[in-house]
Amino acid sequence: MAVPYSQGIEGAATAARGRRRVRRYLLQRWLTAYLFILPVVLLYVVFVLRPTLQTFWLAFYEWNGISVDRDWVGLANFRRLIDDSIFWQALRHSLAWTAVTVSFNLVVGLVAAALLSSNIRGRLLFRLGFFLPVVQASIVTAMIWRWIYAPTGVLNTGLDAIGLGFLAQGWLGSFTLALPALALASSWMTFGLSVVILLAGMQGIDPTLYDAARVDGAGRRRMFLDITIPSLRNTITIVILLALIDAFKVFDLIWATTQGGPVRATEVLGTYLFKEGFQKNQYGYGSAIAVALSLIILASSILNVTLRERADA
Amino acid sequence: MEIRESRVSASAAGLTRRGLLHRATALGIGAPLLSGLAGAKLAAAQEGGEPVELTIWLNGEPGTVNAVTEIIEEYERQNSNVDVTVTFVGNSLFNPSLLPALNAGEGPDVWMGGSGPGQPAAIIEAGHAQDLTPYYCGLGWNEVIPETIVNYTSSDGKLWAVGDSVETTLMFYNKEVFAENDLAVPATWAELMTACDTLQEAGFAMPIGLGGADKWPISHWQSMLWGRYAGPAGVDEVMFGDGRWDAEPFVEATAKLQELNDAGCFGPNALAELQDDVVARFWRGEVPMVYTGPWIIGPAVQDLGEAIAKFGVFQAPPPVDGTPIYPTEDIGTGWYINADYEHPDVAAELLDFMLFRPESRAQLLESGEDVPVGELDLEAVELPTLLEEVFAATSQYRENGTIHAFLDTVTPAAMTDVTYDGLQALLAGQMSPEEFNAAVQAAWEAAKAENEQLQRGGVACSAG
Repeated sequence: MAVPYSQGIEGAATAARGRRRVRRYLLQRWLTAYLFILPVVLLYVVFVLRPTLQTFWLAFYEWNGISVDRDWVGLANFRRLIDDSIFWQALRHSLAWTAVTVSFNLVVGLVAAALLSSNIRGRLLFRLGFFLPVVQASIVTAMIWRWIYAPTGVLNTGLDAIGLGFLAQGWLGSFTLALPALALASSWMTFGLSVVILLAGMQGIDPTLYDAARVDGAGRRRMFLDITIPSLRNTITIVILLALIDAFKVFDLIWATTQGGPVRATEVLGTYLFKEGFQKNQYGYGSAIAVALSLIILASSILNVTLRERADA
Repeated sequence: MEIRESRVSASAAGLTRRGLLHRATALGIGAPLLSGLAGAKLAAAQEGGEPVELTIWLNGEPGTVNAVTEIIEEYERQNSNVDVTVTFVGNSLFNPSLLPALNAGEGPDVWMGGSGPGQPAAIIEAGHAQDLTPYYCGLGWNEVIPETIVNYTSSDGKLWAVGDSVETTLMFYNKEVFAENDLAVPATWAELMTACDTLQEAGFAMPIGLGGADKWPISHWQSMLWGRYAGPAGVDEVMFGDGRWDAEPFVEATAKLQELNDAGCFGPNALAELQDDVVARFWRGEVPMVYTGPWIIGPAVQDLGEAIAKFGVFQAPPPVDGTPIYPTEDIGTGWYINADYEHPDVAAELLDFMLFRPESRAQLLESGEDVPVGELDLEAVELPTLLEEVFAATSQYRENGTIHAFLDTVTPAAMTDVTYDGLQALLAGQMSPEEFNAAVQAAWEAAKAENEQLQRGGVACSAG
């Protein structure tokens, strides 16, 4: 059927008005959304993005942190990094630290979360106990562990008391034990958060899955391995990511206890960065270490997510 | 006055040697005080009574900080137009905070900082520090601050910081424990080693306390022994000449330190010990000796009261029989005025009030943690007996000349880094004395190539 010309024009105009309204509506929604996130974006740009980019930029300079003159040195700081044996030693320590703390967070965190999700007595108390170190200032945690590991501290006194005095030693003065001892302390400090996240994940699992498994005669171990763990894949990824980032950027606990010593036995990238940048006033080189650290964290995070996605596929 | 407090890092323990030492020329002299200086003042200003705001960043031990803040309060009472804001910044955070603040134009108007060749030199070079020479000469500070201190706070003939205190190190010991074990104060190195053996046999696992985990306490030993072996001139030859840290006297001194450790004098876990814990155990009578500075006296007087009388001090005996005892001495901290501060005269007047007025100097001295530079009227202040013993033990040998108490603070940061790690490696037996000294020398040469070493300063005030 033919549409009268005037009616056709009117229809087109109506459609155009409709499209304009839709556009205006979308624009309004778009604007509203962006206005809402604008403050956060601005804060992020000013306090995160800009300093990060500035750090990347500084890595190409030689600068003492205060002089007006900055000497452009191109990739020299990165070349120095490659030849710097202490950097590689610190990296090895950071990787070892990460392996210990991430494993602890995941394994002990999962077990603790599983226990807390069951109806054990004093559940609330345990939750509080696990989470307390997370909210505690890291410097306080460092003091506590310094006290525990001191030659005349709680650990050695305890070992003495139970007849294991021969095991007592200067834990933080040992070249082989200082790093694992501190990694353990750090794990204690962080795993409460993992427990909370994993516990939240567990509470989100459909209970009918367990009911069905029970009907099929599955035991608790089988249910944990075949229902709980697979259902927590995304949660576990988050826990690993958080623990990973936390582990790579560790600084305060080590600084307040050993300052990277004895010699370099507990030197990690964070402490090495601080020494080079802030103590020796080599801001360019310190920035190069920071860039390397950021790239390592980024690469490990991507690897973690990719591996998880590949496993899903 | 408003006082702000920032977080004090635990690692500040590594820098807790803010302390005291008596300027030897003054010891026992009961010298004339400095009241005459008041007349020599420049027109340090109240700027016509107009309101003046002044910000100060402090670090240091609680006793000093408290004394300084009280003095500032008194200054404010006398100068109602001046409003001083004091911010306490923990030692380990001080440097990382100061540089960005100065760069951003948000730095303090006055700050109490280090005076070594590292960051202070960079700050001066960048033009952030006010030239204090006119005040030094005009306010009579040149009559108070010893030349040795001025040498460390000046360059190019200009004074950049007011070195307000001097520090020393010596052996603290428990008189009761010594008496119980029939030990006399060791006069020779062999006697020190015997004392060490006797005390170990008596059940003291750590005859000489050493917080090796903190690194810097080992450097106290290194500084003393290097100075003792090479003498003041020998050290100066390296610091300001062509001498080398791997020369024989320094290597021998390092070997002596290792020998002391190998004999078990520092106990089985020196590298796991923190100096604060060691000092606490010393006061508790669990550690018979500790080589440290008199800055530990102030807090102990408050805790121990009369019981502090059972402790004494002595100079470490000569490591080689027949060689002189050189007391250690170094500058504590320096006070700087920001070059951008619009009322430098007011800031200088405050420093003059705080550091050179007799009442303030007495107050600082009585804090038990700070020995002001220059002559002191010991009669006018009430000092703990132990502190008086420190003065006596230092002045007795001053004629021989002095050596550095803290080589780690007057050498470039890169060298300090190598020194700290090397000293731990030395005590752990992972490094030989030769290797250690060679590593230090290499770091020293690298720093010298970058012109990062301390330059000999000095300021001449023209007559009239």
